[in-house]
Amino acid sequence: MANLAKKQISGQRALILSLSVLLLFMIAPIIYAVLASFKTNMEIFSSPFALPQTWSFDNIISAWHVGNFQQYFFNSAFVTIGGMALVALVACPAGYAFAQLSFRGNNLVFYLILLGMALPVQAIIIPIFYHLRGMGLVDTLTGLTLVSAGLALPFSIFLMRNTFRDVPKELRESAMIDGAGEWKTYWKIMLPLAKPGVVALLIFTFMNIWNDFLLPLVLLMSQQKYTISLGLYSFQGEMATNYALIFGERSLVWFLVLSSI
Amino acid sequence: MSVPVNVAAQPAQQKVATKKMNAFKKKIVIFSFLAPALLLYFVFMLYPMLDAVRYSLFDWNGASSSMNFVGLENYAALTQDSLFLRSLGHNLLWVVLSLVLMVLPTLVLAVLISKVRKGRMFFRAAFYLPSVLSLAVVGVLWSKIYDPTMGPINTFLRAIGMDFLARNWLGEPFLVIPALVIASTWAFYGLYMILFLAGLQSIDPQMYEAADIDGAGPIRKFWYITVPSLRNTMNVVVSMVIIHALKGFALIWIMTQGGPFYMSEVVSTYVYKSAFSMNQVSYAAAQSVVLGIIIITFTIAFNYYRERTE
Repeated sequence: MANLAKKQISGQRALILSLSVLLLFMIAPIIYAVLASFKTNMEIFSSPFALPQTWSFDNIISAWHVGNFQQYFFNSAFVTIGGMALVALVACPAGYAFAQLSFRGNNLVFYLILLGMALPVQAIIIPIFYHLRGMGLVDTLTGLTLVSAGLALPFSIFLMRNTFRDVPKELRESAMIDGAGEWKTYWKIMLPLAKPGVVALLIFTFMNIWNDFLLPLVLLMSQQKYTISLGLYSFQGEMATNYALIFGERSLVWFLVLSSI
Repeated sequence: MSVPVNVAAQPAQQKVATKKMNAFKKKIVIFSFLAPALLLYFVFMLYPMLDAVRYSLFDWNGASSSMNFVGLENYAALTQDSLFLRSLGHNLLWVVLSLVLMVLPTLVLAVLISKVRKGRMFFRAAFYLPSVLSLAVVGVLWSKIYDPTMGPINTFLRAIGMDFLARNWLGEPFLVIPALVIASTWAFYGLYMILFLAGLQSIDPQMYEAADIDGAGPIRKFWYITVPSLRNTMNVVVSMVIIHALKGFALIWIMTQGGPFYMSEVVSTYVYKSAFSMNQVSYAAAQSVVLGIIIITFTIAFNYYRERTE
């Protein structure tokens, strides 16, 4: 018995040791980026794996200003918060209607929307660009917000329909008998009960819009409107040609933080 | 004679009228729940979808006011376009490499983590870490890692005296796609690992106990119990890997823009270039329709297959 226990313990040790080695390899790129953000260019080149000689935050702070990140951060926040609000306001009632209200064509309309989940953005990005241009919304944060919310809809409606399906129908009926209208029932009774689903929806929408790259790339032109993802991309493009100005590594730490909230 | 009949009929008629009125009101209410979503969906998805098909049937450069109808000419041109066919081939290579690098290794990783008794949560969170980064960050980060002069890979190779192995990882035709797929694998393995970990929890431990009694070793248990029990999770992961591989854009665009010499060009980067830098809007629309059909067909076929086998 004691032998077996010993064997198990040494097995655990070997397991944890090998996982730790593996983990070190896996997160080495992140460690490298964080260390590089503290180093001078010379140090990055001559000793990429060593610890920085001095731990100074000056580089990182100056990168915030040089890189225009304040602006990018604000733009990303605008688009993301606007998109989240729009998605929540629009997808929740729709999901509720598909789950709880019976009407003719319910399934048909729902499947039509579900089709959008399979549709890749790449397939419709060209018409979206020209429609937005027609509406005068190309190169505006409002336009990007609207498109981001629109493309997030199919999955959001799907998610909210599943959430509202788990809320008992009897609650709706008793609220109606007590004299509440459909909308009042929705706001006062059903929506509060669907809170976990709404939170999941908000988190999901946040991650998708905050990290999106293709839509900002196509729909935004002027640099002061760039979002974080696009700002990082353009920043690295500018700096790549000029080695003396490689702030990329230093600024990267900002993006590591900002993009992974 | 007629008067009493009318008196009797009046309430009934009224009843029918209010019933109709109520049904109408109900329709309006339901519509008010759906209308904003339907409007947004129509304007930003359905209408563009139809318009992508419409664009692809014309000859339009995106700027001129007149559009010439050319029928299926753009699609016919696609079958002759070696660059498009190569892009499709690269997509396919990307799919195969991703499947090889992601599915089984992340499953093994998940199994190893599930066997840890103390600190399982730590490993779970730490291995998941890269997956929280946006693809823009992953792209820039890995461009720095592959950098031929400043990058840590080449610096390391030179430091240990293996200069001959140091290369321009993203600049060589036959290395570029594997290099990109490795970066993309790095960005996604945490996600699939979490999915597999969730699946592993649902396996009945008694099966392993029975296998232990029968004297099965860890590898046999893995192949004969773990893998078959995870069939559903495996299906989900495989389909996600394939769809990600077909849709991939951000990472490629940030790291290589399809170069060198179109060696990492995939359909989505080719669509972007044709539409927004070469002004071949109709031609690009045709490509995007083909890509859309491939992805939608795959998704629907896969869901059909899954529903049938579940």
